[in-house]
Amino acid sequence: MRKILIALQLIFIGLATPLHAQEIPANTFKIELLANANAILREEITEINILSVDKMRVKNRRTVTVLNENGDYHVQAYTFHKDNIKILDQQARVYNSSGEEIKKFKKRHFEDRSYLSSSEMYGDSRISYMNYTPVGYPYTVVFEEEYETNSTVFRTSWIPLDTYNLSIEKARYIFKNPQAIPFRFEERNMDGLEVEREIMATGLEYNISNVPAFTSEKHSPDKSEFQPRLLVALDEFSLVGVEGSGNNWKDFGKWQYEHLLEHDAQLPQATIEKIEKLTANAESDREKAKIIYQYVQDNTRYISVQLGIGGWIPMPAAKVDELGYGDCKALTNYTRVLLETQNIPSYYTVVYGGDRKHLDPEFPSMQGNHVILNIPQEDQDIWLECTSQSIPFDFLGRFTDDRYVLKLTPEGGELVKTPAYGAKHNLTRTEAEIRLDEESFTADITRHKSGIAYDKIYGIQIIKERNQKEYYKELWGYLGHFEIQNLSFSNDRDSVKFLEKLEIKGKNFSRKAGNRLLLPVNFLRPTVYSLPRDETRKMPIEITRGESYADTFRYYFPQGFEIESIPEKVHLENEFGSLFIQTSLIEAEDGPVLEVERKLIINQGLWEPEKYEAYYKFLNQIKSYNNQKAVILTAG
Amino acid sequence: MKNSILLILILLLSLPINAQNYKFGKVSEEEVAQTEHPEHKEANAAVLYRKQEVYYELHKQTGLTLITQIHERIKIYNKEGFDWANKEIKVHKNSSTGEKVTSVKAYTYNLVDGKLREEKLDKRDIFEEETSRYRKTTKFTMPAVTESSVIEIEYTIRSPFITSLDAVPLQDVIPIDRLEVSLKIPEFFGFKIHYNPRSPLIIPIEQSQGSFTYNYTQSKRANLGMGETKFERKKVEYLLNEYSLEQDAIPPLKNENYIDYLKNYAAYIRLELQYTKYPNSPIENYSQSWEGVAKSIFNDSDLKKEIGITNYYKDDLDVLLNGKKQEEKVDLIYNYVRDNIKWNDYVGFRAEVGTRKAYKEGLGNTGDINLMLISMLRYAGFKTNPVLVSTRSHGIPLYPTREGFNYVVVGLELPNGVVLMDATDQNAGVGELPKRARNWQGRIIREDGSSGWLPLLPQIKSVNTNRLDLQLKDDFSIHGRVLNSYYGLHAKTFRDKHGKTNTDNYVEMLEKDKGNIVISNVEIHNREDKGENVRQTYEFDLKNGIEVINSNIYIKPLIFGGMTENPFKENERNYPVIFDFPSVEKNTVNLMIPDGYEISSIPENFDTMLGEGAGQFIFKTTVAGKFLRVETIMDLNNIVYTSADYEMLKEFFAQMVEKQSEAIVLTKV
Repeated sequence: MRKILIALQLIFIGLATPLHAQEIPANTFKIELLANANAILREEITEINILSVDKMRVKNRRTVTVLNENGDYHVQAYTFHKDNIKILDQQARVYNSSGEEIKKFKKRHFEDRSYLSSSEMYGDSRISYMNYTPVGYPYTVVFEEEYETNSTVFRTSWIPLDTYNLSIEKARYIFKNPQAIPFRFEERNMDGLEVEREIMATGLEYNISNVPAFTSEKHSPDKSEFQPRLLVALDEFSLVGVEGSGNNWKDFGKWQYEHLLEHDAQLPQATIEKIEKLTANAESDREKAKIIYQYVQDNTRYISVQLGIGGWIPMPAAKVDELGYGDCKALTNYTRVLLETQNIPSYYTVVYGGDRKHLDPEFPSMQGNHVILNIPQEDQDIWLECTSQSIPFDFLGRFTDDRYVLKLTPEGGELVKTPAYGAKHNLTRTEAEIRLDEESFTADITRHKSGIAYDKIYGIQIIKERNQKEYYKELWGYLGHFEIQNLSFSNDRDSVKFLEKLEIKGKNFSRKAGNRLLLPVNFLRPTVYSLPRDETRKMPIEITRGESYADTFRYYFPQGFEIESIPEKVHLENEFGSLFIQTSLIEAEDGPVLEVERKLIINQGLWEPEKYEAYYKFLNQIKSYNNQKAVILTAG
Repeated sequence: MKNSILLILILLLSLPINAQNYKFGKVSEEEVAQTEHPEHKEANAAVLYRKQEVYYELHKQTGLTLITQIHERIKIYNKEGFDWANKEIKVHKNSSTGEKVTSVKAYTYNLVDGKLREEKLDKRDIFEEETSRYRKTTKFTMPAVTESSVIEIEYTIRSPFITSLDAVPLQDVIPIDRLEVSLKIPEFFGFKIHYNPRSPLIIPIEQSQGSFTYNYTQSKRANLGMGETKFERKKVEYLLNEYSLEQDAIPPLKNENYIDYLKNYAAYIRLELQYTKYPNSPIENYSQSWEGVAKSIFNDSDLKKEIGITNYYKDDLDVLLNGKKQEEKVDLIYNYVRDNIKWNDYVGFRAEVGTRKAYKEGLGNTGDINLMLISMLRYAGFKTNPVLVSTRSHGIPLYPTREGFNYVVVGLELPNGVVLMDATDQNAGVGELPKRARNWQGRIIREDGSSGWLPLLPQIKSVNTNRLDLQLKDDFSIHGRVLNSYYGLHAKTFRDKHGKTNTDNYVEMLEKDKGNIVISNVEIHNREDKGENVRQTYEFDLKNGIEVINSNIYIKPLIFGGMTENPFKENERNYPVIFDFPSVEKNTVNLMIPDGYEISSIPENFDTMLGEGAGQFIFKTTVAGKFLRVETIMDLNNIVYTSADYEMLKEFFAQMVEKQSEAIVLTKV
């Protein structure tokens, strides 16, 4: 209802103010564009002009009508720049809901500051932005920018809809290539949209209109899987003035290998001798590599300084050796050079780090935001993450697992996939012995973790004991008040296995019900994510990593406790995973013992939106069965 | 006797070990070899030595410059301590001048093959960043840092802001093994030293007097316009007040959850400027009373002037108020300002934009908006005055100073008290302040320039009542109706949280963490009427909400109201616990007992007090025919509970959680 009101208001405005609103497109957009939208991209004209292989001029004019506070950030009235990206012009005008101009920003009114990513200590990236606080909704901003750069390897593609909750009325992309430098282009996710295309040797022109807004849904694939995009890349290009060419992964990788890597690294003799000595008794390359990796972890740390071409070329290995720090490029290169001293070949590999995102295998171009190291082996390659001081040898974890990456070899680029960790491998195996008393309990808990479960826990070792305890108190908050009397870890980095041992003592965690106690038989609950009920799911469901749990809980009771009933056996299995719970009563010498065996597997996979309801049901069943109770009669 | 000899022996023996050399560059092998802090084994790093020297330089051309020299020796114990190898030195600036970081010298020390090796920080690896209009940051990271490195850093800050001395830190989040501070203040300035009253750590300061000599050359012309120039060497002696402190083994500042601003609890000293007395000038007094501070702000900061301007809004306001009764006008004016002039997120008691311009553009800082509101209320005939405030992040000032205030709200004086208002908060009504302004006390300035204190913490308890009517269906699902009512600051909190959520997301938010539930018919009354009570009703169907085992039904009556976990999990606490406002929360659950069942057991009634009247929790059940009613009341009277109250508070919440988890048992007849 509220949305429709805004729509009517907008339309009314469009009719009421034809005079001074010449710059704003008339409010005649389709009502569908209001669905899920916090802002509407009324019109965008992006013009990319390739002046030469190492000179590109970009002009952009963006008109956004913001419907509510959540839509403010779609205005995007800013330009990123640095030494090699010169802003030629910037201006903006702001219009109120009646279409009157209320604010005007000329180039000099834009504020400029340095723009560092959270992991960067220093860099030369800057942002020039319009500092504007909206005074009412809806409002419209017309922002214009023009800049010139000597890098033609980036910023040539077109992604008109790069965020959620923004709809497009009209967007136009003009790619001008007067010198007819060979180029490639490919469409992504444009089927079924209103698109007009004009394709020439000297350029492209695309028009797209009436694209409704996407909303973010839980466990949906990365937005690059569905947002409309036009990928465009030159076959001859320049990166901060360094020219290159390539239209396939092999050539592209070769160029990167030749121009962006260090080829005549000179390490101090002392370091080489040290490595020589350390690896003298190692029998295999794998063993040597492991010693060298440990050496890197012990002697370096991650510090990022991105200046000029240094944003693309690693700092020399000798400098890393001297300073003991570097960014991902520097540390990966350093490790590579150290391995080279022992004649172990390894390859600098480009990847998207973070949530799973692939290098687009079908469109060779400059991609990725991180590098890792690959050591080829006859059976299974070794993979190293060189920026962490604590991750095990040959273990990538969630940051770079299971995705397409580009290996840079002297022969050229090679697109490969990093190892995946399967559900069976991502195992948490828990054993707990719980001794109940009238008012309290004690429990001995051991947990073994491997795979991604290892990745999620191993960091706990290095935090303070007080925070470690806090972690368990929060994690198992459902046990009520308890104290951790003993806590120890053992981290087996060689086999990537982590062991947690705890002794806890707490108040009775069973629920009182008169003279009965309701005892939750699943002492520790697995962390199962919660999904909202959603009858209109649009996106597929993607579970990026499977996981499994195998648990045994044994309960011992004091004199006078009588077990009235135990839950029935549960066996649930479907395409999403499986759950098995069996509770049995064992009569031992010193009283009854309640034993609970539980196995839970959550599968990795991608399912159609229609399966959402079933998935939702599956998770609810797991939660509900994890809540099973035994009934105990107490003497009181 | 024997014992004391032994003691002396031990003391003698231990002396040479403790006698460290703190001169720059004299890092010892022992320091680098140390693997953990002897007392604070959990420390990731420690300050082995910190020396801060503050003094003034006098030059004929440039006049006085305030110099701060820092020398730090830091030990890193493990990888978590590596952050201490990254240094950021933040300094002040304004549009015309600024502080400068100079003479940065830094080394990393490691033991390599049993030998001490030093690594110098290269000047090229020092970066300077314009952080904001008022801040500049010098950044660097130390080379060759390993798990046992000692780093040593020395730098100087030269400041043209000669009367404003930064607070001198006496504590850090890592241990400080030795701290030396020296302040040398020439007779031109009188400073008073204040400790942070919220920190128990007091380090005695030694005071002494010295002198310094100023040598300069004066030129004299013998004859007017003719002849040679004579130079005369001159010498003046000035007094120097010296303050110094030394302390060993300063414990680290502990971090805890639910602390808003940790820095408010650290030990430091702050210097209050009391007077300046430059040569050949009269003494100028800066020391003030709060009365004086308020008066000077009122007169010098254009508060009076801005409140006095009425012509820009006059016509609009006349229209707005035309024909309205006097008692309606306060709300009308307040809502008008709040809804039409947007806050630009800048605090301040001055009208930075200017009220007239702010009104025209619909945008202003706290000063613009609240001074405008005062002006309008006065125009409409209400006795209204500005109230100076220090926000929560600004802390509580240690002494009367203009810098002690950074905010202004509106005080409407009525016969039965002062009603506070702040039109910068989109969700506040008349009488409600945003959390940022609910700090310490406010200073109200009356029209004649006199002033007085006002409490800013909410005095009235805000109430929240929740009613659940539950009905068990044949398939053991629960159908229920919910009525939530939010009064006072509970209503404001509701608007702060949910004011902007759209309906679809709202239902999703309501259903979150409530299990297998479907919520429908959500209605919210007064969601937009700021200052009014909020009422929310909805219906739900919940599966698996109860336990059915054998022929018994087990129900936790507050199926999703109430508290399931104690928010206080830590065993001890060093800082106070601060709630937002005094509050009462009442839950009532009515359960219809299904046909064919009868009550087998119900939780016993329960009543507990928190301390002596600081709070109360009541749990009560009543049975009337087919209906079972469960009522709970949680009453918290105070906003601040000290760390001494912590154990008590934790136990109070534990009892509450336990009682609310007890189940009702119904048995088949």
